[in-house]
Amino acid sequence: MRGTLLYIGQRLVLIAITTVLVSSIVFLLLHQIPGNAFLNETRQSEETLRAELHHYGLDLPLPQQYANWVTGVLHGNLGESLVNHGVLITPLLVRETSVSATVGFFALLVTIGLGLVLGVIAALRQNTWVDYIASSTAVIGYSVPSFVIAIFGLLLFGHYLYVWTDGTVFYQPGWGKVEQIPVPALALGLPYASYVARLTRASMLETIRTDYVRTAWAKGLKARVVVLRHALRNALIPVVTILGPLITGIITGSVVIENIFGIPGLGKEFVTSILARDYNIVIGVFTFYAALVGLANLAVDVIYPVLDPRIRY
Amino acid sequence: MAQAAPVAPPDLELTYEMPEQATLLSDAWRRLRRNRIALVGTVIIAILFITALISIVWTPYPVWLQAVGPTYQPPSGAHPLGLDQAGRDILSRIMGGALITIEVGIGSAIIVSLIGIPLGLLAGFYRGKVDTVISFFINIWYGIPDLLVALILVFVLSDALHLIPRGVFVIIIAFSLTRWMDVARLVRGQSLALREREFVEAARMAGARDFYLLVRHIFPNALGPIIVQATFAIPAAVLFEAFLSFLGLGLPSPTPSWGAMAADGYHGMDFAPHIVLAPTIALSLTLMAFNWLGDGLRDAFDPRMRR
Repeated sequence: MRGTLLYIGQRLVLIAITTVLVSSIVFLLLHQIPGNAFLNETRQSEETLRAELHHYGLDLPLPQQYANWVTGVLHGNLGESLVNHGVLITPLLVRETSVSATVGFFALLVTIGLGLVLGVIAALRQNTWVDYIASSTAVIGYSVPSFVIAIFGLLLFGHYLYVWTDGTVFYQPGWGKVEQIPVPALALGLPYASYVARLTRASMLETIRTDYVRTAWAKGLKARVVVLRHALRNALIPVVTILGPLITGIITGSVVIENIFGIPGLGKEFVTSILARDYNIVIGVFTFYAALVGLANLAVDVIYPVLDPRIRY
Repeated sequence: MAQAAPVAPPDLELTYEMPEQATLLSDAWRRLRRNRIALVGTVIIAILFITALISIVWTPYPVWLQAVGPTYQPPSGAHPLGLDQAGRDILSRIMGGALITIEVGIGSAIIVSLIGIPLGLLAGFYRGKVDTVISFFINIWYGIPDLLVALILVFVLSDALHLIPRGVFVIIIAFSLTRWMDVARLVRGQSLALREREFVEAARMAGARDFYLLVRHIFPNALGPIIVQATFAIPAAVLFEAFLSFLGLGLPSPTPSWGAMAADGYHGMDFAPHIVLAPTIALSLTLMAFNWLGDGLRDAFDPRMRR
């Protein structure tokens, strides 16, 4: 137990370092841009420009700006929006993270739930029509990008469903109602669900042929116990391995999904800020993403020993 | 050695046929041909290549020509895929998009390999400090959404710094700079394992220099997995381009990028779904084909890993 806590502590420090390092890259990249963020604002006198630059600390030498920024990040302060003056970035992004996290959570639920169920069923019914349908769906599904599924989903649930039901049941893009969650979550989760299904099927096929599973059957255990506790638990280990890249994928995917479905989350903010050249927010969103990915990977690594007691920290 | 064969009883005729000499590639090709789904993928890719090549010299209408007919016109005889919101022929644009897709995909696969292979070889072969530095970068990269860094790179390199004009090249560069880690990690592992093998040891004993060992012994033996990894880089790069162009951050307008076409059609989806369907289906088919080929190649190059 103490070992685990120590491990988590070490990892948290590492995540903090990685986050700062990675967002430093973005910080330095964006500060290579000549001119300044206010060049686009016309109708501006020399003094107001200087006052603005001073307000944001943009008149300082770059190393000084960088030092200030790192100090800020370590105190949880990401600065102020360059476009909407006076808007503090940290609270804004915290609010948006909760929206993105909701979508991401349900997408992950789709991914893991659907992926596992399909994978297990396909493996148990290997070489039957159930398996063929599940496997071929998976092999197609994991190549269709989530934004394409999103467009199809919008067309199907937003448009055709409206036409077929004369406008009684349909999906309306946006955010704030419970019924607006499933379509984006499905669009985001389906490609990865196919991937998980493929992986689960392959590793289940391996484990259900092992000696200990045969022993479990021979002992007369119930099918549910054999499949879930003996076979699946071991088959899950390779699946958990890809959870890290999968979460990164869901985060990247959410950027375009949120824009398609009009969800006011981090991804929408990211694109809006890039187009509006609000560099402070771009760096801020990126810092959040880096931290999120780090934390998600940590969570995955903490799950490992639960599944496989042989792995310890 | 053949003369030292055991003496066979005189009445037993020795019919021993030498198996046909199999190189890595011919062996893989033999196995790949048996894999039906990989073959389907190969056929789709072949069609894509042919379409792209044709589009260089001929498309039914110029890809950028507007108002060749009424805007939003659904598919018809003259325009099999219909017209888009600016009255451009969608079939012509899909053909032009095939060329862009190939450029982005193949270009990225090459550059990713050019960066990743040497770094991976060095890290695995020399171990120690070289490995520590290279692995540090690889590991950091696994903890970040790399596509978003690539997105910022495209933005900074072309829009902000005007170093490279916004186009296929900058997308290839940005993708490769953030994605060489997959190849590097794989090659590092291979090189780490291969350097301990007897044939490498023997070559070293015979006085081979490090460079010779790396190029003539370690690299050729890691070629199979490298080809597989490079194949998987193609759909990833194609998806990246589509993703950027869909968001309006990729190839600039009139370029017939499938991602940009999807973004165009997306706004008129309710009454003209054909505009958005054509590029998204083309994109999905392409990604599928490359993934299938990649899976097939993985099985072909490494029969032990067959699932």
